[in-house]
Amino acid sequence: MTNSNAKTARYAQTLIAGLWRENPVFRLLLGMCPTLAVTAAVKPALTMGCCVIFVLICSNIIVSLMRNLLKPHLRILMFTLTIATFVTIADLFLKAFVPRMSEMLGPYVPLIIVNCIIICRAEACASKNALVVSIIDAIGMGIGFTVTLCVLAAVRELLSTGKIFEVSLMPDAFVPWAAMSMPVGAFITLGLLLGLVNTVTGKKA
Amino acid sequence: MSKIKYFVQQSWLLIVASFCFGLLIAVTNAALSPTIKQNEINKRNRLVKALLPEAKDFILYEEQIEIQPFRGKTENVEIYRAVSEANECIGWSFEAVGSGFADKIKLVIALDKNFEKIAGFDVLSSNETPGFGDQIKYDYFRGQFKGAPAGELKLVTVGEPGEIDSQIVAISGATISSEAVVEIVSNYVTQVKEQMQKKGIIGNDEQ
Amino acid sequence: MDTLNILLMAFISVVLINNLVFTKFLGICPYLGVSGRIDMAFGMGMAVTFVVTLSGTLTWLIDHLILMGTPLEVTRYVCFILVIAGAVQLVEMYVRKFFPSLYDSFGIFLPLITTNCAILGLCLFLNLEMVDNILEAVIRSFGAGIGFTMAICIMAGIRENLDLADVPVCLKGAPITLITAGLLAMAFMGFAGMIR
Repeated sequence: MTNSNAKTARYAQTLIAGLWRENPVFRLLLGMCPTLAVTAAVKPALTMGCCVIFVLICSNIIVSLMRNLLKPHLRILMFTLTIATFVTIADLFLKAFVPRMSEMLGPYVPLIIVNCIIICRAEACASKNALVVSIIDAIGMGIGFTVTLCVLAAVRELLSTGKIFEVSLMPDAFVPWAAMSMPVGAFITLGLLLGLVNTVTGKKA
Repeated sequence: MSKIKYFVQQSWLLIVASFCFGLLIAVTNAALSPTIKQNEINKRNRLVKALLPEAKDFILYEEQIEIQPFRGKTENVEIYRAVSEANECIGWSFEAVGSGFADKIKLVIALDKNFEKIAGFDVLSSNETPGFGDQIKYDYFRGQFKGAPAGELKLVTVGEPGEIDSQIVAISGATISSEAVVEIVSNYVTQVKEQMQKKGIIGNDEQ
Repeated sequence: MDTLNILLMAFISVVLINNLVFTKFLGICPYLGVSGRIDMAFGMGMAVTFVVTLSGTLTWLIDHLILMGTPLEVTRYVCFILVIAGAVQLVEMYVRKFFPSLYDSFGIFLPLITTNCAILGLCLFLNLEMVDNILEAVIRSFGAGIGFTMAICIMAGIRENLDLADVPVCLKGAPITLITAGLLAMAFMGFAGMIR
């Protein structure tokens, strides 16, 4: 009885770690490139987040299944091959079912292959743990990443167009800040959000 | 022999995995590629239908027209014939590309059946400054091209946007983007028209 | 003469106007991590330039000679990343054996570069913009590396001075670097529209 309780507690802990304590963007500072590139609006951010969750889960499953068979010096190559395959599949699905989003995201979908988050999780977690823990870790990290992207995108979209998902949320007198949808806004918003997270968690330097 | 054995022993997983992944990609691609192709066709048709409303279908013209988008480069342009319900040609359309303020601007241009007037254009992709160059997508600018003569167009900074002629009034604050679009349209339309007249696809102006 | 003109425009476009870091958001991870000191930044920049020129050319060749138009096109991403990983591996072995002093100055960065989004990103952009001839591919790759080096050295120079400034505790480190990068991005926007 206590054994399964301990296991469930461990699973829950792994799940929540990805959301806050080890949030990939805010705490581990991984996967910056898509964070800045696709967060001009909430819809692309959400789409990118879902792709990353899909690729994370699939690659963690495969790596975890293979973990006892891997030769040490071919490890990274195997990870890269796995991730590249699933990203290609995800890209094909996007092109087929949501072509407009696929166009907006453009070359940033294949860049998920070199997204540090996925390789780091494969290396740090999936290659050392059993199947279920790996899956839960993937889900936690993926959701943490998606939530971060959406928060950033919401701020940028709200300030640059006054709407989120076409719903107008700002008062009529609000003049949109065009700079928010450009690279300037991306960098500065992320920097300020990181500063905010640092204050909240009491991080020192 | 032992070298090959060693090699296989070390990398059998890699080889098997590559094979399996390749299979997975191939299967997904085979299943999804008709949908993907259809999406591309739909996107084009949707945009051009807005410019040529009576069109029912768009047929790719077999002969490719070669033009020079700018000095030193040649490009093959694919021309589409727009046909109506009664299967008669009511217009033409093709894609055009040129450099704008920030990055490349891709347009799809539609003309009437005799290549005399521009039916309009739509922006396929652009990266212009939001709020300024981005306005090339809106009616103030696009509306000036509807019905303009198919030939050299000139950008002016003051004028009557309501008057449809070969003068296009620039977007205030986005002169370079406006100039870029005018140049792309002029360049492509004049060159394609010249080539098509040479090949006898459309009548000459003198007739 | 026209070809030279086009190549020159392509080079300036990739270095200044469509700088990889400031307009396309590529290579941010090493940008934030290694821009602490100018000598490290320069080393990283040079290593990236070296690798990106090589990979850009190789992937362009493979794309045009083997992949395009064939059913194998769908394996493009897998091929690109394998070529990049292989190229980096070969370059590292070669440099370590024949140019040990060079290896000492930028050897440690080489393995990190494989997962640098800038390399794969550039290869994909070369493909996206339908670059026609190999000379333009080489110039664009080289320009991308130079642009990255320029961006990271500017950032390193600024950060060395920032160390002496009074930055609020919560913003120290990555946040203030990002805000500085934003201001630099705004400055680089001034180059837009430079070439017609």
